[in-house]
Amino acid sequence: MLRAEPLLKIQLMMLASEAQDAALALARFGVFNPAPCTTDAFTESPAALYREAWLQAESRLSKLLQQCGSTGPLHVPADAEAPTLADLQELNHWLKEVWTACLSCHESSTQTAEARGHLDALEDTLAKLEHLNVNPAHLFRTDSLLAVNVGSLPASGIRRLTEALSMTGHLVSRFDQAGDQVFTVIAGPRARQAEARGLLVQAGWRELPIPDELRTRPEAARAWLQAERAQLNGKSGAECRLMDELRQRFGPRLHEARLRLALARPLAEAALAGVRGKGGLAALSGWVPRRQMDSLRETLEARFHGRYWLDTREPAASDATEVPSLVRYPVWLAPFVPLVKSYGVPRYGEFDPALLFAFTYLLLFGAMFGDVGHGAIILLLAAGLYRRLGRMAWVGMAAGTVSMGFGLLYGSIFGYEDILQPLWLSPLHDPLRMLMVAVGFGAGFIGFTLLINARNKWVAGRFGEALFDSTGLAGLLFYLGAIGLLASLGGGMDVIRPAWMLAGTGIAMVAAFKFHSARAGLGERLLVALIETLETATSLFSNTLSFMRVAAFSLNHVALALAVFTLANGLDAAGHGFTLILGNIIIIVLEGAIVAIQALRLMYYEGFSRFYSGDGREFVPLRLLPEKARAGV
Amino acid sequence: MSAYLNTRVSLYASRLWPDAALDNLVGATDEALAVTLAQRGLGQLALNGDHLAGQRHEARSLEQRIITQILDETRVLIRPLSSEARAFLTFWTARFEMSNVKTLLRSKMGDERPAVVLARLTPMGAFGRLDNQDLAHAEDVGELLRRLEAGPYAGIVRHARHAFEQTHDPFNLDAALDRAYYDGLVQRARLLEKTAGASFRQLMANHIDRINLVWLLRYRFNYKLPPAQVYYLLVGSHYGLSGSRLQELAALESLEAVLAALPSPWNEHLSGLTGIPGVFARMEHVAAEQALQVLRSGAPDIARAFAYLILRERDLRAVRAILRGRHLGLAAADIRTAMRRNPAGVN
Repeated sequence: MLRAEPLLKIQLMMLASEAQDAALALARFGVFNPAPCTTDAFTESPAALYREAWLQAESRLSKLLQQCGSTGPLHVPADAEAPTLADLQELNHWLKEVWTACLSCHESSTQTAEARGHLDALEDTLAKLEHLNVNPAHLFRTDSLLAVNVGSLPASGIRRLTEALSMTGHLVSRFDQAGDQVFTVIAGPRARQAEARGLLVQAGWRELPIPDELRTRPEAARAWLQAERAQLNGKSGAECRLMDELRQRFGPRLHEARLRLALARPLAEAALAGVRGKGGLAALSGWVPRRQMDSLRETLEARFHGRYWLDTREPAASDATEVPSLVRYPVWLAPFVPLVKSYGVPRYGEFDPALLFAFTYLLLFGAMFGDVGHGAIILLLAAGLYRRLGRMAWVGMAAGTVSMGFGLLYGSIFGYEDILQPLWLSPLHDPLRMLMVAVGFGAGFIGFTLLINARNKWVAGRFGEALFDSTGLAGLLFYLGAIGLLASLGGGMDVIRPAWMLAGTGIAMVAAFKFHSARAGLGERLLVALIETLETATSLFSNTLSFMRVAAFSLNHVALALAVFTLANGLDAAGHGFTLILGNIIIIVLEGAIVAIQALRLMYYEGFSRFYSGDGREFVPLRLLPEKARAGV
Repeated sequence: MSAYLNTRVSLYASRLWPDAALDNLVGATDEALAVTLAQRGLGQLALNGDHLAGQRHEARSLEQRIITQILDETRVLIRPLSSEARAFLTFWTARFEMSNVKTLLRSKMGDERPAVVLARLTPMGAFGRLDNQDLAHAEDVGELLRRLEAGPYAGIVRHARHAFEQTHDPFNLDAALDRAYYDGLVQRARLLEKTAGASFRQLMANHIDRINLVWLLRYRFNYKLPPAQVYYLLVGSHYGLSGSRLQELAALESLEAVLAALPSPWNEHLSGLTGIPGVFARMEHVAAEQALQVLRSGAPDIARAFAYLILRERDLRAVRAILRGRHLGLAAADIRTAMRRNPAGVN
């Protein structure tokens, strides 16, 4: 059975100057989950500045690596030490300088690209002016009464600008658009040019530089444009060379910076949970597996030679929601774990339902979608998509295999019921039996979940609920009694008297518990006890009937196949084949998806909701590198 | 869903403060204050009221808690709304995130440490669309603006960046951000106006007219900007104060002339006022009265929800003024002035 490892809460006290090495040692140890330090005497946060410097440096480094590319795989030497706060601040300062240089290079290349766009627009303007009967020399004269501006502005502001400029007697005419920039000519009285200028600045206006040649000799403007373009190309080349130089010059040091920041990460991450201290003392708190405490002591002793103090304690009842849950799953079960955790993480000490989930989910899927042919296709599809789906492909392959198994039991292959001899029964030929089996399975499943819930409540110290609540042992007694009673009335067995007694005792205990635990006046308590007891009975009954869908879907599978065959038989040979293929695809995709969801629904709502709180915390150990980076190292 | 939202808005409406109740709060004992706040769904403010010990960071935390309260209530109201109405109210909450953007920009101008500015940002919860951690670590204003431009508020920030690059004037940046935000709000409201009815349009008209008139007066007579520039900085509007009307108003030479030239009913509501704070308070008072009417009417869901949020925010601003004022030991008259609850007498 899967169980969360027993944990101990530790508080490691050491010299504040060695806190980074202590955090590094704990990260290398691999199973330390940081937690807030609760010692009232420690009022300071000695790692706050460290974390701040690390965050800044990390941010700068990641931006630099985006610009310069990766520096290759990172190998962290076993004996490397974590940087001190002063080292980290120095590194941060250096990264700032490098990033500023890189940023100005980057900004410069952006501006060059924009300048190229402007030159293109200017060339376009020139081409248009050449075809007009306009003398640019007159148009751009600086001593005329008319002031003319050529430039660009964001397209979203053009309408508003036109309206505003009309208040100063200016006209706006757009002649081109590139991206979100609109190129326009603005003309108005020179006397109000200053007013218009202020407005243009507000509107994000960018003036196109009009060369003197264009003002005086339009025919010479092209030569000017070419010269400008050549100058921009030269500038761009220089920027590229500078970037290359930066990469070459700083590449090795960037790799070194990556290493130092990786070594600093543990204390920076632990500071998030809360490293506390006072004076020259710092304390790191967290959770560690009990069975690895000796190993932890050895690690600390080897590193600090007695310059530390380690306090340990068992988790208290009040820690129930704070203690993380560390469960080690076997490799074959791991693909099912995300489906369980999408509902919630098991609380510390709570029954982990991953194994139950994997077994029951596959069983339900196979029972509802039993077909050798369709199961084989699901198996092959999941195997084919292994690279894309990752570990989840194993769930698909397992579901396909179980579906094939049930196909053999049902004697069904691609919907044909007469090719294989059923090893057990054909749902279509004995639907009543199928329904009985499904409900019987549901009853067993619900009974089991009640038992688990009683166990979870007992472990959590809620003995009253474990023994007497509707989802505890009293509820289980009532449920077993009620099943026995119904089975006896149906003629399946003869246990009416003991079943009555069992059900009666169970429901009486539930009613008494509900009455006792309600916080209200006498009348209201009676009402609450009555309604909740009634609800216990009806919900258990309806939840059990919910499992009839397992039989219904197994019948549905055969019925869908029959519908496809009926359609195909009414068509010619080509149509027959086409309909069979298309019908089978629809069955696999549509019914397969519905059955997968239904099985999940049964697990979550009829199973998990009965016993699984799922409000636990994941055990997240302190690491040298983040999870995704570790995969690449 | 409609019945759910109606019920929810009606339940929330019982938390609103009549003017007299707020006034009583100014002189109430600490215990009575705590009880009253808890009764109106502000228990978390009451709990921490004792600890608002004057220090700046704690006062900010009061502000943050108030915004968190507004966001929580908005989240509940948004749930059953249609996609357009939901988009509108979601964007309505983006005002707080724009305020975070401005805080980030100012922090870069003042070369503040990221940790300091991060502590000052309003937590947006489920409405947050920005990676504040990443933005706070931008090296300077230019890098911050480019990062913002690659995010969900690209449309708002792009224009502001262009304006800022020309002059490096923080006023240009703030004005461009504000205008672009409200333009976006008007666009989203326009999509709703056909289905949400005249009452919703009236709420928006009151809000945008107030924004435009107060900005116009401030830019024109406090900052002495030329009329064309003032007009450019206002929100594009199809409400009572339309574009052509705003052009005319911006060209006038005094606050009194502007107020006299306003169309009805604003000229009646605002006659006799001589200062911009008075104009703001009076217009807000008129808007609040109309919002209350909408809230009590059988207006469409989104209109009632929007009316509630307008009123709730106004109330919470007054509560904040009272809590801060009491804590700083201000005189009752000063606290009432800070509340800006009574448009004529107090302001």
